[in-house]
Amino acid sequence: MVSVLISFSRITLLAFVLAFTFIDIIQIFEFKNSEVFGSVMSTIQSVMVVLLLCNTSIILYLVREDSIYLFLLAGQLLLFALIGISLNKLTYPMSKALINNMMFFLTLSFAFLERLSQGRAIRQFVFAIVSLIISIIVIMILRQIKRIESFMYVFAAIGIILLLIVSLAGKVEYGAKLSLSFGNISIQPSEFVKLSFLFFISGCIVTYKDFRGFLFASVGAGLHVIILVLSKDLGTALIFLVAYVLLIFIAYKNYIVLGLEISVAAIGGILAYNLFPHIQSRFIAWSDPLSVVDDKGYQISQSLFAIGTGGWIGSGFTAGQPTKIPVVTKDFIFAAMAEELGTIAAICIIICLMCTCLQLFNVAFNCEESFYMLVVNGIAIIFSIQTILNIGGVIKFIPSTGVTLPFISYGGSSLLSMFICFYVAECSNDLFYIDNKGRRYD
Amino acid sequence: MTKERNTKKAIRKEIYVVAALFTAVFVAMAVFLGYFVQVGSKDFIYNSYNSRFSVFTDDVTRGSIYTADGHIIAETKTDDENNEYRKYPDDRLFSHSVGYVGKGMSGLEASYSFDLLKSHISLDEQINNTLSGIKSPGDSLYTTFDYDTQKAAYDGLDMFDGAVIAIEPDTGKVIAMVSKPDYDPNTIAENWDAITDETKNNSALLNRAIAGAYPPGSTFKIVTTIAYLRDNDGDDYFDYNCKGSITVDDYKIHCSSKKAHGSEDLLKAFSNSCNSAYAYMGINLDREVFLSTANSLLFNETLPAALGNTRKSKFDIDDSTSDSIVAQTAIGQGQTTVSPLHMCMLVSAIANNGELMEPYMADKLVSEEGDIVSATTPKSYGKLLSDEEVLLLNEYMEAVVMDGTADNVDFGDLKVYGKTGTAEYSTNKNVTHSWFVGYAVNDSGDKLAIAVIMEGAGYGSKYAAPLAAKVFNAYFN
Repeated sequence: MVSVLISFSRITLLAFVLAFTFIDIIQIFEFKNSEVFGSVMSTIQSVMVVLLLCNTSIILYLVREDSIYLFLLAGQLLLFALIGISLNKLTYPMSKALINNMMFFLTLSFAFLERLSQGRAIRQFVFAIVSLIISIIVIMILRQIKRIESFMYVFAAIGIILLLIVSLAGKVEYGAKLSLSFGNISIQPSEFVKLSFLFFISGCIVTYKDFRGFLFASVGAGLHVIILVLSKDLGTALIFLVAYVLLIFIAYKNYIVLGLEISVAAIGGILAYNLFPHIQSRFIAWSDPLSVVDDKGYQISQSLFAIGTGGWIGSGFTAGQPTKIPVVTKDFIFAAMAEELGTIAAICIIICLMCTCLQLFNVAFNCEESFYMLVVNGIAIIFSIQTILNIGGVIKFIPSTGVTLPFISYGGSSLLSMFICFYVAECSNDLFYIDNKGRRYD
Repeated sequence: MTKERNTKKAIRKEIYVVAALFTAVFVAMAVFLGYFVQVGSKDFIYNSYNSRFSVFTDDVTRGSIYTADGHIIAETKTDDENNEYRKYPDDRLFSHSVGYVGKGMSGLEASYSFDLLKSHISLDEQINNTLSGIKSPGDSLYTTFDYDTQKAAYDGLDMFDGAVIAIEPDTGKVIAMVSKPDYDPNTIAENWDAITDETKNNSALLNRAIAGAYPPGSTFKIVTTIAYLRDNDGDDYFDYNCKGSITVDDYKIHCSSKKAHGSEDLLKAFSNSCNSAYAYMGINLDREVFLSTANSLLFNETLPAALGNTRKSKFDIDDSTSDSIVAQTAIGQGQTTVSPLHMCMLVSAIANNGELMEPYMADKLVSEEGDIVSATTPKSYGKLLSDEEVLLLNEYMEAVVMDGTADNVDFGDLKVYGKTGTAEYSTNKNVTHSWFVGYAVNDSGDKLAIAVIMEGAGYGSKYAAPLAAKVFNAYFN
């Protein structure tokens, strides 16, 4: 009987994902839709998310005969309610679609982590609760700061020092230094430096508004990137580089500078390619994974076996074999989703990620104030490039870079950092300090 | 202290540019993923490192494989303990083309594994089966093989190692394909160690018909003849007085049985398979023309055939090659190697007015209910030879059978065009491979191209050509 449910759920899960994606697309084209229409759409999306989560939880409950999945479901639904309530208490949210997408990605994350590793799923759920609490605290702190851009050097210092510590004392994983260990807990500081980095760059630009801003931002960004390259965390280095280049472009609107920066980055890339053998092996694994299938190409080949064998409609939730893919809960979780939900659903997820990126740019566009306009643009850029690097690496679109998929991959640091980013984006027009005389400081 | 509001309009355009850039990459990625699943994923799904087939075998019974005339050559059976196993009713008859399932997979079993494990019965039937816990029957694969022809080729090869491959020239359908030594796919798992024992060095798993590397011997004179015609702008004038041998740079090349053929034109030299004349022809050829002719006839490249892992044929000549090597190359000795498939494709193109049809052996997938799921359409590779070249080669190859090296062979009522070969393959010049390549036409114009090689058998006219005659007879009757 369970196998019938799994087979039947192939259709229902796909239907929920398709409906969600469809509304996402409508909302991209209908930014100025009427209040009523918008809230109906938004409600349907929320319902789809809840149905999706219920469906996967029930399958897991019946397949594994373990009631913990029902308790987790209750907890997760409560968490979603708290996210919605907290944002509505904090501010008038910039984008309802953004909240729905965040919950959609969290749902996928919970469902697949539960399916892949119960222990990690429980921990990720705890991370999500912690992230929610810290995000609310961060928003409240930001409201107490009068002129946030004047702290730009503090942000630069925090970022550079954290990265230096990792570079010197970090734990080596997959050939790169990524994390710091404190007993049982291991954190990836580079995830938080993403935020301080954006605050620093935006601060430079807003404070000086001229060539000096560009100069300081460039020196700071260069330091960040160089330290990351020395730690061999090249995926993150690339994310920082792209965020810097595009933010400068948005702020200064200068195509010549953009061209120059891209040239410098390209030269740097070629140098890095020749200097680091592990980049070269990633390129080999990308260009012809089957030729090195038992060695460097093993992971990407396993990923493509999963996606290819799953086909358009997938093997059915819990009916695939995604655990054969190394690091499937982190970098390669997209392959697991493609295998079991099918490629149609996987393409829908890509579209939802794209819509999220556009929603973020739309929020940036509607920011009243230039500092947060730049920060939210930076968030949109980081979210997009990180998504592209992750999924592109999983489907052999580009060489694998070892970055996580926002909200979906297992990992507390990545989740917390993205949580804060989205809360900042949602509250971006509401992050000013009002003194007791009612004067507003940005 | 309130700061001035930034003017939104000024920054509008750049945000659009950046957003559009990302949107383009996302769309490209989605399209790439769709393309991979629809087109590119087959290489990965079929890869032997992919261990996910059990996902399908839980719901679907692997489909059967048939010959074109409806003989079952692979099927799934269930033993007393309800375990499925794969049965090959004809044991070794199709071992290389159909392959095996058991110790990994090979042949059609490997390349069509995914399709055999798909069921295209009606949807309500499938749902019924799922609900009642019955496996759905997988689709069946119909091959292009003709059972009797395959059997004639298999029995004809007898105890010899070697290969036979027969192709329908106007479609590219492979009618028969045999390679020996072979193995029994029914017992591959039990006998795996013996079959793969390298000390015995018989490589029974290798499909010699498509992946063998043989010296072509005199069958290569077809290529040399084409090069000669191209070197002389299509003029077939040739005159040589054969004294039974020729000496090139102190290297002496003998004619077969050291017989002196006397004065010969191109037709005589070809039908007599005169080594002296062809060695002489070879050293006087423009080497660039020789090389470009061989390359245009698919030497040194992957053959356009959907038959599995074929081997590239090798041909190498340049200005630094010594005359004695060129002379040997012209008569099919030297460094040149070919696969039987390649020689068969060459004569198949001659039989089809110069146009090569790409060989294939998987004809169609049919559901349990008899609906065709997908079918292979014959595909043309293009013209290998001009009409004039085809006309001359037909004349020469006919002469081989009428009053040349194969005039002793009884082909019955069929009109046969061919070339024999006797290829030396070791320092001992008394042991030779026996070759025959050619095609037959019956009264109603049906054709069949063939390449036969029998390792260490001796003269082509004595062994390989009579085997070809048996295969032709089995096919046309």
